[in-house]
Amino acid sequence: MITGVVRGPGGATIGNVQIPVAGTPAPGAGPGPQPRPPLARPRQGRLLAGVAAGTAAHLRQDPLVVRAAFVVLAALGVGVVLYGLLWLTMPVAEPGAEPVVTLKSGETRSTRQLLALGGLGLVALILFGQVLSFSNGNVVLPLVLVAAGLAVIWRQLDTDRALSLPGVRWVLAGGIALAGGGVVLLLATTGQLANARNGFAATLVILVGIVLATAPLWRRLLDSREAERSARIRSEERAAVAAHLHDSVLQTLALIQRNADDAHAVGRLARSQERELRTWLYEPQVASGGTWAGLVARMVAEVEADHAVTVDPVVVGDAPLDDELAALGAATREAMVNVAKHAEVTTADLYTEVSPDKVSVFVRDRGKGFDPETVPDDRRGLRDSVSGRLARLGGTATIRSAPGEGTEVELVLPREKTE
Amino acid sequence: MSEPVRVFVVDDHAMVRAGVRSELGDEVTVVGEAADVEEAVERIRTTVPDVVLLDVHLPGGGGRAVLETLRAELPTVRWLALSVSDAAEDVIAVIRAGARGYVTKTISGPDLQAAVRRVADGDVVFSPRLAGFVLDAFSAAGPAPAPAEDPATDPGLDLLSAREREVMQLLARGYTYREIGSRLFISVKTVESHASNVLRKLQLSNRNELTRWAATNRLL
Repeated sequence: MITGVVRGPGGATIGNVQIPVAGTPAPGAGPGPQPRPPLARPRQGRLLAGVAAGTAAHLRQDPLVVRAAFVVLAALGVGVVLYGLLWLTMPVAEPGAEPVVTLKSGETRSTRQLLALGGLGLVALILFGQVLSFSNGNVVLPLVLVAAGLAVIWRQLDTDRALSLPGVRWVLAGGIALAGGGVVLLLATTGQLANARNGFAATLVILVGIVLATAPLWRRLLDSREAERSARIRSEERAAVAAHLHDSVLQTLALIQRNADDAHAVGRLARSQERELRTWLYEPQVASGGTWAGLVARMVAEVEADHAVTVDPVVVGDAPLDDELAALGAATREAMVNVAKHAEVTTADLYTEVSPDKVSVFVRDRGKGFDPETVPDDRRGLRDSVSGRLARLGGTATIRSAPGEGTEVELVLPREKTE
Repeated sequence: MSEPVRVFVVDDHAMVRAGVRSELGDEVTVVGEAADVEEAVERIRTTVPDVVLLDVHLPGGGGRAVLETLRAELPTVRWLALSVSDAAEDVIAVIRAGARGYVTKTISGPDLQAAVRRVADGDVVFSPRLAGFVLDAFSAAGPAPAPAEDPATDPGLDLLSAREREVMQLLARGYTYREIGSRLFISVKTVESHASNVLRKLQLSNRNELTRWAATNRLL
């Protein structure tokens, strides 16, 4: 019903307009081929509450025309009611879906506002005259005060700005003071102040009574909302943890049960699962990778999965991965694989330290060792892929070993100073 | 070997306690067990063991709470942290509260026995991981000591000497004290004293970097 009224003032041609189908311009439907924008109040370009601007955008009319229509109607009284109703019923436009307020070219904004304000002033004058005509002049000033105060309050509450902003609060307080003062003045001039005071006191007492009586209820409502919220957060966290545990720990436990006879396999499974869980719990930034420490953790897990060796990595410092570090990683991995293949032990120590000028890696085992002077042919892998790789990077690889005393591979990669 | 070392095991998992008990073997006597802070404080007071194997994570305040309650009261008791936790701040916190070392629960039986004996003899026990934490914590700062505002503050507490750093690096690389000694041409006793000094610095240092390091690691 309201929309019917709306179309009256602004869109006399509304009857001829066809609903445009998307993509096919409807003749005579307005300046653009787009479908008619929804009836909504824009966030920008408002004069009072955006009712006229929104209506104009919806009707594809110049806002000025619509505003003028409102002004004329307001002079008759209908416009004010209509404006208020529309204000209440029109939603505020979604961000990004602002109704476009079309401006006629050649007119600047300020002249338009001036015109509109002039129109409003006219309405005010007419209203003023009407009020004057059927009452004594004393009530006019209080009424204007109340109206102005209400307008200020409404405008403030109607925006998106947070109420916690000090500016908004002050303006609100000013509006309330203005409206309150108007009411008091109105009552005073009509001689109803004493009555109103009694009524006010009675209302206040009743209100306080109601609030006090229902206080536990409010309290419970608030508490239960809070409890509900934290319960929801908890259950979400729980679900995330449960999902992770299911994908990792439970799967591994199932694998362990299946391999219960194979002590080596069980040990390796338990070990890699332990590492994964530990990383997830304590080193999320390593688990996400992208750094030297993350690469080392991944490589250790891979080597342990593929070979019968457990490696205890100790990482000091960290650095973002680059090509050189990736190559150093490949050499480190080769050194670990060598332990698994040749050292005849099941454990190795890996220590790596990132300092400002170099990255060092030590892979040490307590296996059978060998005499570096008489490198057997099957140790070529160590020489070619570890030493060769490091030499190409400009680093050094040192191998310390003696029969029966284990082996230690030391890799040093100099870092360029980037600063 | 004189009398067996009297050991007290504090861990909230009965399975872990049983496992530790069997791994410790005959050379040490397990004189008691406890599963939480309150029980541990009470029983350690009555048994006064030589060494307490202390879990870092315990219901009722963690291993640190037990240490802080009893350390001054029972100066003869030595503490060795035993944990699955790799979180640096937990380990550093227990060391700073007075533990003489830190080993992970994946340690082998013979290694655990050796660690207990070492702690009972007054030495400190650095696992490679703890050595790594120490290097990480102390390498955050540049080499120059900041001018001390308080003259009582020993600036040496905030830095590792070159030798101490070397010892820590070798420990992190998996070397034993004996191997470090022969590598650096120093006696095992000297290696031990370097390790004790590092532990003391870790416990006494007020260095901002150390605190900040622990704080950032806690945030991660």
